[in-house]
Amino acid sequence: MGKRLIRIIALCLMAGLNLRAADITVTATVDRSAIKLDEVITFTVSIEGTRDFPDVPPPTSDGFVIISGPSQSSSIQIINGKMSASKTIQWRLAPTRTGSQKINPIEIRYRRKTYRTKALTVSVNDRRSSSGPSATAAGGNQTGQKPPAATTGRKGLFLRAEVPKTSIYKGEELPVSFNLYFQNVRNYAPQKLPDAKGFWTEAFPEKRNPTISSEVIDGVSYKKATLRRLSLFPTTTGELVIDPMEITCEVPAPNKRSRSALNDFFDDSFFNDPFFSRTRTVAIESAPVRIQVKDLPSAGKPAGFSGAVGNFVIEGRIDTLQTRQNQALTLQYTISGSGNINAVKLPPLELSSNVEIFEPTVERTINNKGKRIRGTVTYEYVLIPRSSGTLRIPGLNFSYFDPKRNQYMTSTAPGYSVKVSPAKAGDSGSRAGFRKEEISLLGSDIRFISRDNPHWRRIGASVFRTFWFWFFNLFFVALMGGSLGFRWWMEKLAGDSRLARRRRALSRAQQLLKEIQTEPAGENTGDLCGKMDRVLSGFISDRLGLAPSGLGPRDIETALTGKRVDHELVRAVVTQLERLERLRFLPGEQPDADFQKLGDETARLLTLLTKEI
Amino acid sequence: MIQRWIAAFLLINLPLLGQTAMDFHFQKGNDLYLQEKYAEAIPEYEAVLQNGLESAELYYNLGNSYYKSGRLGQAILNYERARRLKPKDENIDFNLRLANLRVKDRIDIPPEFFLFRWNRALIQAFSVSGWARLFTLLFGLGAILFGLFQVFNRNPWKGLSRSAMIPLFLAALLTLYPLIRRYGMEHNRAYAIIIANSSNSLAAPQTGSTELFIVHEGTKVQVLDRDGEWSKIELIDGKQGWVLSSDLEII
Repeated sequence: MGKRLIRIIALCLMAGLNLRAADITVTATVDRSAIKLDEVITFTVSIEGTRDFPDVPPPTSDGFVIISGPSQSSSIQIINGKMSASKTIQWRLAPTRTGSQKINPIEIRYRRKTYRTKALTVSVNDRRSSSGPSATAAGGNQTGQKPPAATTGRKGLFLRAEVPKTSIYKGEELPVSFNLYFQNVRNYAPQKLPDAKGFWTEAFPEKRNPTISSEVIDGVSYKKATLRRLSLFPTTTGELVIDPMEITCEVPAPNKRSRSALNDFFDDSFFNDPFFSRTRTVAIESAPVRIQVKDLPSAGKPAGFSGAVGNFVIEGRIDTLQTRQNQALTLQYTISGSGNINAVKLPPLELSSNVEIFEPTVERTINNKGKRIRGTVTYEYVLIPRSSGTLRIPGLNFSYFDPKRNQYMTSTAPGYSVKVSPAKAGDSGSRAGFRKEEISLLGSDIRFISRDNPHWRRIGASVFRTFWFWFFNLFFVALMGGSLGFRWWMEKLAGDSRLARRRRALSRAQQLLKEIQTEPAGENTGDLCGKMDRVLSGFISDRLGLAPSGLGPRDIETALTGKRVDHELVRAVVTQLERLERLRFLPGEQPDADFQKLGDETARLLTLLTKEI
Repeated sequence: MIQRWIAAFLLINLPLLGQTAMDFHFQKGNDLYLQEKYAEAIPEYEAVLQNGLESAELYYNLGNSYYKSGRLGQAILNYERARRLKPKDENIDFNLRLANLRVKDRIDIPPEFFLFRWNRALIQAFSVSGWARLFTLLFGLGAILFGLFQVFNRNPWKGLSRSAMIPLFLAALLTLYPLIRRYGMEHNRAYAIIIANSSNSLAAPQTGSTELFIVHEGTKVQVLDRDGEWSKIELIDGKQGWVLSSDLEII
């Protein structure tokens, strides 16, 4: 037992070593070297000699497009202890133009070696390959344009993908029907459902028993059954390909008794019975269809255009026109119509910022029961007005492109005006962002009113308009000014002796005069007259700022005349001075009674002089 | 002769009679408030204002009545007016804080630098007339001492007045600063309260202009400019925009 196991393991190892030592072979083949423009070839790459298969890049060619693939299959065989592994990778290619088309070699790197396949050449003929008729009237409502019908198959049986037109706008609905034209078919089974890259595909429901109509093509009468209907909405621009559909059909074998009128199509169980009829299975496929997709015209494209193509209507609905602040209301817009419902998008709602708008809930329903794809898109907004007043919801425009009219259209939902009443008391909004102490404050009530006797004041009154403020302040300013003035006066007096002499002249002179007059006149009249003389002349010199000593009556006359003193007063003064001088030296000349008169005269003169000088 | 005396008496005492009438309105408003007839108390208080008299107590009570009637904007407006007249009153402060908590716009005020806080506390220490009295007192004392110093230019007055006069004048000069600032505060017409439920703030003073933000009832704003029926406002956080002047009321 153990020996046997070891032997098997050794064998396997050797086989592995063998394989590892061997090179791989890579070959590329096509199933046909000459095809028609509407046919499809199968491109096969097969690798042999290894188990760990390298990656194979897809084929490249200027004249072909890949319509399906890759599909892979691999097999491992061990024959006489020698293992052989192979892998085949297949693509299906459709030609894009006629002539001799080259498929480029495929390069594979495997264990530091590069393997190249041979370049392949396929000749593509212009002629359509219909084994039956050359396709003419296939679709429904196209005008003049030659319908691109693609079929493959044998005489009396072909499958066609029929489109009303081959040049459409991006997003425009393109109905495709896969029609089987036949004369005698027992049954069919789809092998590969059609696919289309670059399209949003919406399939119509399949009928279990397709209705059969008859059609005459190139003088031959056919039965026609629509096996599958699709609506395609291109999502990109450029050339797009609708892939073929493959079916297998059971057709009656030849030499069978010919059945009239093919009334035994699918549901005739009796004749389906293999005991009674011999059938043969035939595989047929439709040819790929090329569609040119144009971009939508940029001229006249509305601002809010979202890419909807077809024919749509927008409707609005609001649940209430009267609400309360902070209470939600529902606003609904429904867009319905035919076209690329998937591309329908509403422009954002533009409302004033005191309304809270929640993300809308969007609901799409697609109805494929009719001839065209129809559908509705519902946008439901929840709005919460955050303040009272009138909430205006403007009309909403929805723009779409109508390919039939070849222009942009706009459908408008009406606007609304919602009355929002204020919130109930106590229904305050959000309470976020409070500090702890503030939250405890929120629970408390305001403090009670003040019942003190109010201290009234005039509105707009200000202290700068009150009497007392200006009175006191101006008074204090005046007080300071007055004291400054007083101080200045005192200092002027103290510093200026001449002024002091002049200021004090009268009072001093009057005081001295009074003293002289109180003294008893008698023997010393002369002395008293001398004193009186000095009082008068001293007064004049004080007033005029002259040197007090040595002033004669003549000097005084000159000085007084210079001061423009009244002439008579000057004369009186001079006369008085001369008289006093005379009495001083000749005391006995005048009687005593006149001494009193002299004093009065001097006092009179002092008063008069004070006014003059 | 007697008629003339009566006329003179009336003329002198007319303001006094007016004030007693105001006291009557105030008292009536208080009574209605006490009976929880807040909406009826409001016109009584406002009658006083219409007669051209105001007081911190009146504004405070009016603010309370508005608060109880659910009119937050007017309540805050009147509390602010009361505080303008009586900045340090604890009751006014408390009710204003409470009312401000109910304002929808929560604008965070950056914490104040302590020097600014002290400065404000100093300015709010007295009312304008208080500061004016203090200024007059200090200035008057200084002026009297100055006068004494000038007139009696000898001892002992000289030494005393010189040592007391300069500090007095300095103090009076320093009093001028809070006096003027306080005056500016009481007579500042730059602040307003939003009294509309909510007000859209636009980028330009015209209807249909871009909406910048929304201010709600009770928010305090600074009025920067006016243009027709529009006012340019600034929020505490610096946001600016134009709102309808009817949506706000100057404090």
